[in-house]
Amino acid sequence: MSLTNFQNEFQKLLDRKYFSPELHPVRKDAFSKFEAIGFPTQKWENWRFTNLSALKENHYLISEVKDAPQKTPDISNYKIEDLQTIVIYNGHFQQDISSVPEGVQLLTGSEYNELKNNQLNHSEKSPFDLLNTAFMDSGVCLIVGKNTIVGTPVRILFISDGDSSIMVNPRLHIDIESGSLLTFIEEYVGNATSLFQNEAVYITIEKNSEVEHIRIQSSSENTHHMANLHVEQFEDSQYNFYQYEDGGKFSRNNIYVDLNGENSECRINCLSLSRGTQHLDNNIVVNHNCPHTDSSQIVKSVLFDKSTGVFNGRTVVQKDAQKIVAHQSNKNLLLSKSAKMNSNPQLEIYADDVKCSHGSTTGQLDDDALFYFQSRGIPKNEAFVLLVSGFVIEVMEKIKFEPIKNYIDKKMNTWIA
Amino acid sequence: MLKIKNLHAQVEGKEILKGVNLSVKPGELHVIMGPNGAGKSTLANVLAGRDKFEVTQGKMEFSGNSLVDMLPENRAGEGMFLSFQYPVAIPGVNNMYFLKAAVNAVRKYRGDDELDAVTFLKMIREKLKVVELDDSFIHRPVNEGFSGGEKKRNEILQMISLEPKLAILDETDSGLDIDALRIVAEGINNYRNNDRAFILITHYQRMLNYMKPDFIHVLMNGKIVKSGPKELAHELEEKGYSWI
Ligand SMILES: Nc1ncnc2c1ncn2[C@@H]1O[C@H](COP(=O)(O)OP(=O)(O)OP(=O)(O)O)[C@@H](O)[C@H]1O
Ligand SMILES: [Mg+2]
Repeated sequence: MSLTNFQNEFQKLLDRKYFSPELHPVRKDAFSKFEAIGFPTQKWENWRFTNLSALKENHYLISEVKDAPQKTPDISNYKIEDLQTIVIYNGHFQQDISSVPEGVQLLTGSEYNELKNNQLNHSEKSPFDLLNTAFMDSGVCLIVGKNTIVGTPVRILFISDGDSSIMVNPRLHIDIESGSLLTFIEEYVGNATSLFQNEAVYITIEKNSEVEHIRIQSSSENTHHMANLHVEQFEDSQYNFYQYEDGGKFSRNNIYVDLNGENSECRINCLSLSRGTQHLDNNIVVNHNCPHTDSSQIVKSVLFDKSTGVFNGRTVVQKDAQKIVAHQSNKNLLLSKSAKMNSNPQLEIYADDVKCSHGSTTGQLDDDALFYFQSRGIPKNEAFVLLVSGFVIEVMEKIKFEPIKNYIDKKMNTWIA
Repeated sequence: MLKIKNLHAQVEGKEILKGVNLSVKPGELHVIMGPNGAGKSTLANVLAGRDKFEVTQGKMEFSGNSLVDMLPENRAGEGMFLSFQYPVAIPGVNNMYFLKAAVNAVRKYRGDDELDAVTFLKMIREKLKVVELDDSFIHRPVNEGFSGGEKKRNEILQMISLEPKLAILDETDSGLDIDALRIVAEGINNYRNNDRAFILITHYQRMLNYMKPDFIHVLMNGKIVKSGPKELAHELEEKGYSWI
C-alpha cells in the first residue's frame, strides 16, 4: 500500500494560499500520525468486513479553484420547505445561496479556530479523522447560544459534481450551548464521476439542550464516502439522529456518541438501502460514561442484487455508570440471494445496574405476507413495495420536522419502486 | 362455479392432496371437516394460488377459467377469497392502507372505478360495525398484536369489503368466543346469496347451528372420503373419524 498520492496532495495543500496557515501545525501533526498508522486493513477490529482497496488505489486530488462552480449551482431539485440552507459545492462554500436561521451563528473553520484559541477539537479515533484534520477544506461551524430555540431547521447541502477525481474533507462543528434547541440536516448529493468524501462532524450538546440531526447520504454512484461523526452530550441533553442513505459505491459511517452527563439520552436511527454492488457500512459506538443515561440504536438495511452491508454496533457502559438503559436493534432485509450483511451487535458492560438489550435479524421478505397481499388482489410487485416500505418505515417515523420527513419518505418510495 | 377434479398437490416432494373432487354451485354452502393434517388448509391454499404447493395432477376451474396457471391476485379479482387459518401479522403496514389497496386492486380488476379516500372510509366504517370492531383497528398495522378472535374478525372485514363470489373460510370459527362466533356466522349468513358460495373448513358443528349448510364433506388423507347432509356434522362430532 502506498500513501504517495496522499502525500503529494498534502504538499500541494500546504502550498496553496487559500488554506489558512494558522491551521498548518495541526494539519501537519494529523498527517504525520496518519502516515504512521496508514489506512485500516481488514485485520483491524471493526474493519474486518470493510474492503478499502478501491479507495486506496484511486488517485484523488484536492479540490481546487477550478473545481468551484462556474455559475451559481441550481439547488431546485433539493427543495425542502421551511428551512435555511448552506451550500458547499465540491468543498467550496457558496455564499450567494447560503443563509442561516435566526439564533444560529455561522463561522468559517479559521474563524472558529480563532475563537477556540487554536485549540480546535479533533479526534483520532480512526485514520479518517486524521485525514480529515490534515485535509479539511470547507469548514462550517454553527453556534447556538444559551437558551435559544432555533425555530427554523438549518441544512448543509453538499453538492459534488464534475469529471475530475477529487477529495472533499468538510469539517463541521456544531456547538449548542445550554437550554437550546436545533434541528440540523446534512445532505450529500451530486453526480461526481470520482469522489472521495471524508467529512468530520463534531457536535457538542450542552446541558438541557436538544439536537435533532438528520443525515441524508445520496452521493453519486462513484463516491467513496466516509463519515466521521463525534457527538458529546452533557447533563439532561437529548440527541436524536436519523440517517437515510442510498448513495455511494462505498460508504462507511463512523458514529461515536459520548454520554457525559447524567440524564442525557441519545436515539440513533439508521436506514441503509443498497443495490448493485454498493457497500454500506455503519460502525456505531455509544459510550455511557455517566449514570442515568439512556441510548438506543435502531439500524435497518435493505439489500438488493450483490450489495453488501455491515453493522458494527457497540454500546459501552463504564464501571460507575449505574442505572443505564441501552437498546440495540439491527434488522436486515435481503432481497437477493447474492446480497450479504454482516451484523455484529455488541454490549460491553462494566456496571451492574443496567437494562440492556440487543438483537439482530437478517432475513428475506416473508413469503406468507406476500401471499397474504396477493390473495387480497394486490399484484405481487405492489405487494412487494408495500412490504418493503412497511419494513423501513419505523426508522424515520419519529422525525419531528414534517417537511424533511416527507422529503425522505419520497426518496424512500422512489428507491423501493 | 368451482369444479375440482382429481386434484393432486405436493409440497417439498410430499404428496398431500391425493385426488380431490369437489363441485360448488353459486349460492351453496359446503363444509369440509377432517382430522388434523388431512390436507384441508392445503386445499384452501392451492385454490387461492399459493405457489409453494405444486399441483401435479387434476383440474381446477373457477367461473369457467382454469385456475392452475392463474396468479393469486387474479383469482382474488375473479372473486375468490380465502380467510386464513393463521392470518399473518404485518408490522409497518397500516390496516386501512392495506384494505384500501386491496379493495381498489380488486375494483380495478373488475373494471370498476377506484374509491377515493372519503368514500372508502365511509364504506369501511359501515363494515366495521358489521364485525363489531372499533375504528382503532384500521389504524393499526395489519393483524399486529391482534388477539386470535380479532384477527378472524379482521378476515371477515376483508371478506365483506372485497365482495367475493366464493369465500373459503379456513377454521374461521376456531378460537372465537360466543359473541365473535355469532358475529362471524351472521357475517356469513348476511352475505350469503344466490350468487355467492362458501366453503367452510371447521372441526366443530357449533357454528353450523347458526346456518344451513348444503353439504358436509370429510377430507381424510388427501381425499374427500364421504359427503352428506347437515346431520353428518353431528355424527362426526359424536363419533370422530375412525368409523369412516
Ligand atoms: N411446507 C410443508 N412442508 C412439509 N409438509 C407440509 C408443509 N405444509 C404442510 N405440510 C403437511 O401437509 C399436511 C396437511 O397439512 P394441512 O395444513 O393442509 O392440514 P389440515 O387438514 O389443515 O390440518 P388442521 O386441521 O390441523 O388445520 C400435514 O401433514 C402438514 O404437516
Ligand atoms: Mg388447517
